[in-house]
This record gives sequence, structure tokens and C-alpha cells, in this order.
Amino acid sequence: MRMAIQGIGITGSFGSGVASFRAALQTGSDRSALAVDDSPRYRAGIEGLDEFIPKRALRRIDHFSRMTLLGACQALKDADLLAADRSRIGVAIASGYGALNTTFNFLDSYLDFGYSCSSPTHFSNSVHNAAAAHVSIQLKTTAPSLTVTQFEMSVPSALLSAQQWLAEGRVDQVLFGAVDESCEVLNYCREQFFGAGEKGPLRPFAFSEQSAVAGEGAVFFVLTRADHGANYGYVDEVILGNHLVCPLNLPQDDLFIIGADGHKECGSFYAELLNGRAAAAYAPLYGSFPAAAGFDLAAAAVSLGDRTLYASSDPVSSGVTSAIAPQKLDQGQLACLKFGSGGDYGLIRLSN
Amino acid sequence: MSVKEKLKKVLIEDLNLEDVEPEEIEDDMALFGDGLGLDSLDAVELVVIVQKHFGVEIKDMEEGRPAFQTLSTLAQYIEERMA
Repeated sequence: MRMAIQGIGITGSFGSGVASFRAALQTGSDRSALAVDDSPRYRAGIEGLDEFIPKRALRRIDHFSRMTLLGACQALKDADLLAADRSRIGVAIASGYGALNTTFNFLDSYLDFGYSCSSPTHFSNSVHNAAAAHVSIQLKTTAPSLTVTQFEMSVPSALLSAQQWLAEGRVDQVLFGAVDESCEVLNYCREQFFGAGEKGPLRPFAFSEQSAVAGEGAVFFVLTRADHGANYGYVDEVILGNHLVCPLNLPQDDLFIIGADGHKECGSFYAELLNGRAAAAYAPLYGSFPAAAGFDLAAAAVSLGDRTLYASSDPVSSGVTSAIAPQKLDQGQLACLKFGSGGDYGLIRLSN
Repeated sequence: MSVKEKLKKVLIEDLNLEDVEPEEIEDDMALFGDGLGLDSLDAVELVVIVQKHFGVEIKDMEEGRPAFQTLSTLAQYIEERMA
């Protein structure tokens, strides 16, 4: 079933809101990667959240959930639903890792001081569905609320659930989001695994090189059935699979936004599938993290809304494929292709 | 730093009272309800805070209830048991 994209909310290292994201797509630079402890990191802020949620109400809400709330509120505002009845809005959130900082803080307090000194607030926020619960409570959305964690495939997997809710008529709208946060423990692990590759710059088209740079952020979409038009375009199809088990044949006429984010392990799949076809990649604008597949989806939606496919932010070609040139999108389809480890893939096809 | 000063600091930090300055917490201000505005979940956090930062264990909430009235009563409770 087709889904219409009615609103977008987004926060990343480029700033927050669709206008900031569009500006990043237009300029195409990776200036937003900030150095932390001599390593580049893409960090996201929560500026503007107090426009929607009183500061006191945020005191038991961690950074992960604050990014989530900001994205969700912005998406509702963008869809002109802030003042609407929200009793039939579902919440579906995709996250590769969940609230890592809170989880590790809770575990640290348990190990350092024992169970009697473990914060109940940290515990409640470390539960993976906590962010979705905060959205439902603060925004009074009383329809189904769900968090899907499936690492790199979290976004297409959660999107299938959103699609199903709409097809079943269980909801009128879905606040569909993708969120991940930067975490020093995770960054330490990444540096152990990838070494100098974590130092950047992130080069999505250098498929045989490790160049991933950790990032974080939240992106949300207001999705509806496709009966009454769309502000940004339509999600036509969501496909999940494993290329090694059932080889993927790419649609011939689609333009592709690939989720290549500098992970060498996945690079060969993009090289093989694209086989010389030009594609767009925007990971240098927001970094490498599982929920970044949602940022690719936002790039596709903004492109459809603007009827312009923006230039890739890394113009360096690996020689196998090349970064696509900016072009008008009068007709035709866009597709977001994301590979995970072991050949898992998610393909999201969109049109205007 | 006195117990009261340290208490104000850790209350703001550990309970994320971002909109409160230490000097705004008066010694005789009620911690719960209309005063500082803490609630029942904060009471559980307070037990953790007192043990973590002052090494004083509150084993029984009935015993802790009078101590949780104001900053002064809580500071006094801690000082008596630290001594």
C-alpha cells in the first residue's frame, strides 16, 4: 500500500528542521562533522525543543528521547497537525542501538554502587521503547506505539509496520521516526574495530575503504494513506531481503540514494548492484549510524518535494560507480537502498 | 562545602532541575508538592542520591519521610548519620 509523506522533522549535525537539512543538501559539504577528542563526530542538538515541550517536563527525558521528541514535534508541525486530534496517530520508531548512553550509565551505576544506588529514571529510559513512550505521553498520541531495532535494517523494518497499521485502518497517521545517538562506549568499540578508518573524512563512494564516521540524530515523518495527496511524495514500496540468498535486481528506471556510509563490509554490495550506475549518497552530511537510513529517506522526500535531486556530498568516485549529478525530478521514481552486514538489504521506493 | 550546599548541587544535577538555581532552593522550602515540586519518583531517586553522595542509607521510607520535608531536615538527617 502506498503511503503519503505529509511532514518531516529532523535534527542532525547540520542543525534542525527541514530548512537546515535542505540547506545541507544544497551545499553538500561535510563541514558539520565536529572533532571530539581528536576524532570527528557528527553530533545533533535539541535547540527549539522548548518551543513544544516545557523544560520541566523534559527533566526525566534523556538526550536520545529529546532528539526523538524534537523530530516528532517538528514533523507534526510541518504536517500542520500540532493542534489536531492525535488519538489516531501511531508512533513507530526505528533505532539500531536505542538509548546507549542511558543504558551504559545505568549499568555503570549498578557496577559502581550496587543495585540500591541504580537510578530508577536511568532504568526506565534504558528500556528500548522509552523514546516512543515519551512521544506518546507528551504528544498524547494514543494509537499503537512501537520501537523496532534491527541494526542497519531497522528503518525499512519499522516502515513495514507503519505501512501495515495504515493498511489495516488501525491509525489515520503514523509518526514514523529513526533515531540513534552517539555514545563514547560505542565509539571506543568502533575505533577498536576500524582504527584509523574512524578518523574520516567519510567517503561513501570509496566502497573498498573504511571511512565511516560516527553520527547521531533523529528524523520523523508523518505518514498517511495516499488518498488525499502528499506534501513531499509517496512511499510506494518497502522491500527487505538478503542479496546472498535471493539476489536483488534493481528497478531499471529508478534513481538511487544509497546508504553507503563508509563501511567497507557493505561497500562491495553497492559496487556490485550499481555496476556503474550513478547514484546519490549523503552520509557525509550526517555521519554513519543505523538510523541514517531514515535521513536517506528524508533526502528522497525533500528531493521529491523540491522536484530536484541534489548532488552527492562526496564527489569522489571509486571508479566503480559515480556520484550522481544534480538533476530535475519532473517524473520518475527514487529509491533508497541500504545494505547491512551479510547481504541484508532494505529498498524503499518513492515517487511524486 | 557544607552538606546543605552539596545537597542543593546534587539535587539540581541528579534530578535534572535545569530551571532551578542553587540559591533558589531555600532551606525551609518543601521538597515535594508546592515547594520544589518533587514527586514520588523523585523520592526514590533521593534515597539513591543520599546513599551515593553521602554514604547514608535510608532503609525505611517511613524513617525517611520526616527527613524529606525540607532541605534543612534532609541535611540534618544526613549530618546525624555521617557523624
